[in-house]
Amino acid sequence: MEWQTDWGLRGRMALTMFLLFALYIVFLGALTLYFSNLALIVVVMGLFLGAQFFFSDKLALYSMGARTVEPEEYPELHRTVDRLAQQADLPKPKVAVADSRVPNAFATGRSKSSSAVCVTTGIMNTLDQDELEGVIAHELAHIKNRDVMVMTIASFLSTIAFLIVRWGWLFSGGRERGGQQVPVIVAILISLVVWVVSFLLIRTLSRYREYAADRGGAMITGKPAALANALMKIDGRMDKVPKEDMRDQAEMNAFFIIPIDVGWIGRLASTHPSTEKRIDRLQDLERELESR
Amino acid sequence: MGLLDGLKSVLGVKAEADATRDADPDDLFGMSTAYITMEADLGYESTGEAALCFADVDSTDFQDAVDEVESILDAGMVETGTRATFETDDHGYQWVVLHDNDFEDLLTSIHFAADTLVERRYGSRLLAALFAFEHTRDDQTVYWVYSFRRGAYYPFAPDPHNSHERNTSAEFKLDSNLSDEITVEGDKEYWYPLWPDRPGYHPWE
Repeated sequence: MEWQTDWGLRGRMALTMFLLFALYIVFLGALTLYFSNLALIVVVMGLFLGAQFFFSDKLALYSMGARTVEPEEYPELHRTVDRLAQQADLPKPKVAVADSRVPNAFATGRSKSSSAVCVTTGIMNTLDQDELEGVIAHELAHIKNRDVMVMTIASFLSTIAFLIVRWGWLFSGGRERGGQQVPVIVAILISLVVWVVSFLLIRTLSRYREYAADRGGAMITGKPAALANALMKIDGRMDKVPKEDMRDQAEMNAFFIIPIDVGWIGRLASTHPSTEKRIDRLQDLERELESR
Repeated sequence: MGLLDGLKSVLGVKAEADATRDADPDDLFGMSTAYITMEADLGYESTGEAALCFADVDSTDFQDAVDEVESILDAGMVETGTRATFETDDHGYQWVVLHDNDFEDLLTSIHFAADTLVERRYGSRLLAALFAFEHTRDDQTVYWVYSFRRGAYYPFAPDPHNSHERNTSAEFKLDSNLSDEITVEGDKEYWYPLWPDRPGYHPWE
């Protein structure tokens, strides 16, 4: 089955990544002007993020109160994941279930072989078989697209910028020369700008990847309508892996006087596109299926 | 993972690209000599059944394509004596099951059905082709599963007595003895089970 390629989505995603990358290059360049021990900061942060990345699958499952389940416990769920992973040409991920009434599902794992798909008991009760397949296929598309890795790397320097904004004044401590104080304040200001801009770019990227996973998921199942139904049922409450340090979000909320989840700022900062927009795009795919 | 695959991942289109990749049913023909080895060296005889499993698509055009497969196979029955039945399993996947004691005819009909779907541009929906064999002495049934996504075969031997248990030693034996004749999937993570609903039955039953 041949689907039209969404070049617009690909182009916007590439542009967002390019802007983010360019921003980081400029940021690193600016930092070297002010911090002589920049290499050390990057290495320490790299190790920290590496560890987070390495344990991300376990962390995500743990934070959701989820546990991996064996085929004997959830035979139907396992068989669904089996077939969809086979269809998606993906090694079977671990299957996890979280005991929660909130309908939710997410995928985690840094690589194809360490990945896991987690669903809550709530989503299994809410959705019928076709809809659940749609949701699981969406999560498999995230794994296939390596979204955890892409988003971790994309957020790497953003986290450094945040830490400099927060703790940058420490770098000036211990130095006797008074002239050092001014450049550190400039560096903190630069970091603040980098952090705000990268935050918005990362959120934009995250939203594009949701669209991409919706497309991928619909193509795995061949049923865009089922995924759209599932989205309507759970109405945007579906979340996936916490991709970044939680502090980012909390700090950002404190930074703006208006809470960020309202108004245009909220839309810019949201990690997921609105359910209506996602459903609109799935309807386009559905029309494409029928009109050939 | 190649550079292009990496780029597709980064751009978030890997899932989309792989889910829409077409199958090449010509790879299926490896089985045309392998079944002789199965019988002569390993004591497995064809049960006279082979099946094609494909994922449903929610569209009228797809249903037309399936109807076309059905009418072609029905027309061919007069010539080859291959009987075709259509099943839908509990997961909503569709099966074309072919019955014929002549293995070559089974293989030709499976190829024909797969090819028709590819020509109707539904090649990406093809999941697997299964060839069923049973051991001449014990009641072990084994399958050679051809994965259209991977372009390779893998053995699947469900334990006839225990639900959802695989007879790994039988699978190992099949893998070792036939890997010269057919392309066997090297990565066992892709050896997907296709469990029958009841032990001792075929996956499509």
